[in-house]
Amino acid sequence: MSERRATVLHVDLDAFFVSMELLRRPELRGLPVVVAGGLGNRGVVSTASYEARRFGVRSAIPVSQARRLCPAAIFLETDFAYYSLASKAFHAILRDFTPVVEPAGADEAYLDVAGSEALFGSPETIAQAIRRRVRAEIGINASVGVSINKLVSKVASDAGKPDGLVVVPAGAEAAFLAPRPIRDLPMVGKKTADVLSGLGIHTIGDIARTPESALVARFGSHGAELRARALGIFDAPVLAGRGEAKSISRETTFDVDEPDGDRLRAVLRGQAERVATDLARHGKAGRTVTLKLRFPPFETISRSVTTGVAVELAGDLHAAAVTLFDRAWAEHDRRPVRLLGVGVSNLQERARQLRLGETLEADRLQDAVAELRDRFGDAAVRRGAEIRPQE
Amino acid sequence: MKVQVLQENLQRGLSIVGRAVATRSTLPITANVLVSTDRGRLKLAATDLDISICAWIGAKIDEEGATTVPSRLISDFVAQLPPTTVSLEVPQNGRQMRLECARNDSTINAMDAEDFPRIPEIRDGVTIQFDPKALRRAIERVEFAAATDDSRPVLTGVHLKTDGTRLTMAAADGFRLAVADITLPESPSESIEVIVPARALRELSRLVGETNEPVEMRVNPQRTQVLFAMTDVEMVAQLIQGTFPNYNQLIPAEYGTKVLVNVDEFKREARIAAIFARDGSGIIRLQMAPGDAGMPGQLTISARADEIGDNEGKIDAKVEGEGSKIAFNSRYLQDVLNVLTGTVALEMTSPSSQGVFRPVDENGVSEPGYVHVVMPMFVQW
Repeated sequence: MSERRATVLHVDLDAFFVSMELLRRPELRGLPVVVAGGLGNRGVVSTASYEARRFGVRSAIPVSQARRLCPAAIFLETDFAYYSLASKAFHAILRDFTPVVEPAGADEAYLDVAGSEALFGSPETIAQAIRRRVRAEIGINASVGVSINKLVSKVASDAGKPDGLVVVPAGAEAAFLAPRPIRDLPMVGKKTADVLSGLGIHTIGDIARTPESALVARFGSHGAELRARALGIFDAPVLAGRGEAKSISRETTFDVDEPDGDRLRAVLRGQAERVATDLARHGKAGRTVTLKLRFPPFETISRSVTTGVAVELAGDLHAAAVTLFDRAWAEHDRRPVRLLGVGVSNLQERARQLRLGETLEADRLQDAVAELRDRFGDAAVRRGAEIRPQE
Repeated sequence: MKVQVLQENLQRGLSIVGRAVATRSTLPITANVLVSTDRGRLKLAATDLDISICAWIGAKIDEEGATTVPSRLISDFVAQLPPTTVSLEVPQNGRQMRLECARNDSTINAMDAEDFPRIPEIRDGVTIQFDPKALRRAIERVEFAAATDDSRPVLTGVHLKTDGTRLTMAAADGFRLAVADITLPESPSESIEVIVPARALRELSRLVGETNEPVEMRVNPQRTQVLFAMTDVEMVAQLIQGTFPNYNQLIPAEYGTKVLVNVDEFKREARIAAIFARDGSGIIRLQMAPGDAGMPGQLTISARADEIGDNEGKIDAKVEGEGSKIAFNSRYLQDVLNVLTGTVALEMTSPSSQGVFRPVDENGVSEPGYVHVVMPMFVQW
C-alpha cells in the first residue's frame, strides 16, 4: 500500500463483564459494581464499573484491596458462560463488515476495513454501524478507535471510552498521541514509566521529542521502538485469527447430497485454495492434511495424512486431499456425500523448502489470490470447475 | 564341510558381510550368511538382493562344503568366543553347523546353501581403478545428498560418469546437489555413466575405511551391475536404471554475494542454531553483512521457535558483493558443513535461489573438486 489511510479499527466493549451483569440486573445501574474471579480474599478483580473506577478499583487488583478502596461496591462473581455468548455475537457482528478481524480478547478486536468501504461506507461510518449494532443486538456499549494502525487505534478507542468514537486521520498520529500521558502508550508498563518520569518525560510527545540515541542509551533497542511508537509508527498488520489457530479448515454442506466425484474433487480444490489463503494470511504451513466426509444422515468420517515437508500451497493441499478422498470414498461405495471438508493442522511457520530448479511463481500466484480474497471475500476468485453449471 | 579358522578372522569376516544381510525380507534365507569353502579359503557371503558382499578368510580346509546360518546368531556368538581356533563342521545333509572353540561346543540350525540367492559374478566389462583415500573422500562428500525416499528411484543413487581420467560423482535429492571429482590413476578402457545406489557406496566407503586397499570397480557390459573388489572383499550392487537429471544447469555460474568463513566456526554456530530450529520448522537464517572501514564482514546465524525462544550467533566473514540473507533447512546446512574443513565459500544471488558451497584454499581460491548446492527455504523475514 503506497498511501496510508485510516482504515484500522479497534473495537472495545466498555467494561464488558460489568456491562453484561448490568444488563440482567438493571437495578444496579449507576452503582459501583465490581466483577471478580472469586469473591474471597484471594479473588482478583476482572472488571469494575466506571463508578467503581472512580474509587481507584481497577482490573487485576485483589478483591480484598477493592473492598478497602470502595466498601460500598457490589461484588459479583464472573460468569464466563454468560459472557461468552455475548462475545461470540460481538465477533460475529465484526465479521459481517470484513473478514479481516483480529480478535484481541473476548471483548476487543482489530479490523481492517480497507476492502469494505465500497459496501459499507467510510471507516467512520462502519465504526458507527458497529457501535449501533452492538448496542441493538447485545445491549451494551462499544468504543471504537480509527486510525492507520493498530497501535494508534487502540489508544484512540481508550481515549473515547466510555461509549465513544475517536477517528485519528492519517498523518495526525503523532499530534494525537503527543499530549497523552506515557502510560497510555501500550508498550509502556510501570517500570518503563517510572524510568521515563525520572528523565522528566511525562507525555507521549515528550518521548517523541527525546533524541532516539538518548532512549537507546537507556533502553537499548527497545528505546528506538518506543520512540517510533510515540510517533504513531507501527507496522504489524491486522491478522485475522492471530494466535488462535491450531488448524485451518473449510467445509461445505451440500443442499442436495452430491453423487459426482469430479464435482466433489472440484469442491475440494476450492476449499484447498481457501485453506491455503488462510495459511498464507497467518504466515503458516501445516504438516497434517485432514479430509472430512459426511454421508447422510450423519455418518461422518475423517482421514489424515502427515507429510514430511509442511504443506502451504493449494495444489499440494488439494493433491493430498484428493488422495485421501479417493480412498475414503471408495471404501464407502462412492455414496452421495452430504458434507465435504479439508483442513490442515500441525501448523508451523510458513516456510517452504524450495526444490532444485524451482521458481516462486506458484507462491506469487497464491499470494495474489489471497490478497484479492482478503479484500473482496472468498468468492471473489474461484476455479471454473467449482461453479455448478446452473449457478 | 570341515574347516578350521581363527576366531578373529571369522569375526571380522562376519562383520564385513553382515552389512549386506537383509533386515526385513520376504525371503528368509537372506537373513543368513553363506559359509563355503573356496579355493583353499573360507568364503562368507550375504545379500539383500540389492547388494551382496563376499569376504574370504584364511582357513585350514579338511573337507569342502557349504551351508547357510542365521547371520545375527553366528555373528553374536563368534564375537563372544576366545581368540583361538574355531572348527566348523557341517554334515553331508547341510542342515546343521557344529562349532567348536576351546571347550565350547555348539550347534546352529542351517539352511541349504543351494537355496541361497546366487551372487552375481562380473568377469568382463569396464574396469576402473581407485585410490582408496580419494574414493572415500568423494563418497563421503556426495552420498548424503541422495534421496532417501524412492519416489524418484534415480535420485536414490549416485551418478558416476567418467571423462578421461576424471570421474565425477553427483547426488541430488531434489533439494540439494553434491558434485565431487576424482582424478583416476589411469583412464578406463571406455567411458562409463552409471547410477550406483547411494547405500552401496556408503557400505563401500566403510569397507574401504577398514581395508584401505586400492579398489577396482567393474561394470558389466549390460550396465546392470557393478562390482567393487578389494583384496579379500567384494561387493556387487544392482545399478539403478534411468536417466539422471542434467544437474550442471543447477549450479549457478554467477553470484551476487560471496561469503568466506571458517568452517569450524560456521559449524559450531549452525549446531547451536539447530537446537532452536528443531522446535520450529528447522530453519536456520543466515545474514551476510560486508565489512567496512577495515572492519571484517559478518555472518549472522540465527534460529527461532515459536513459544520456545531464539538464538543468534555472529562470526567474522569476508563478504564480497552486497549484504544479503538466506534461510536453509538446518539439516541440509549441517550436512554440507560436516564434510568440509578449513574455509568454505558460500555464494548466492537471492533468498529464493541456490546457495552454493565450495571449499576454498587459504588464498580464497575455490577448490575445483567439489561443489554443493542447497536450495533455500522460502520464509517470511
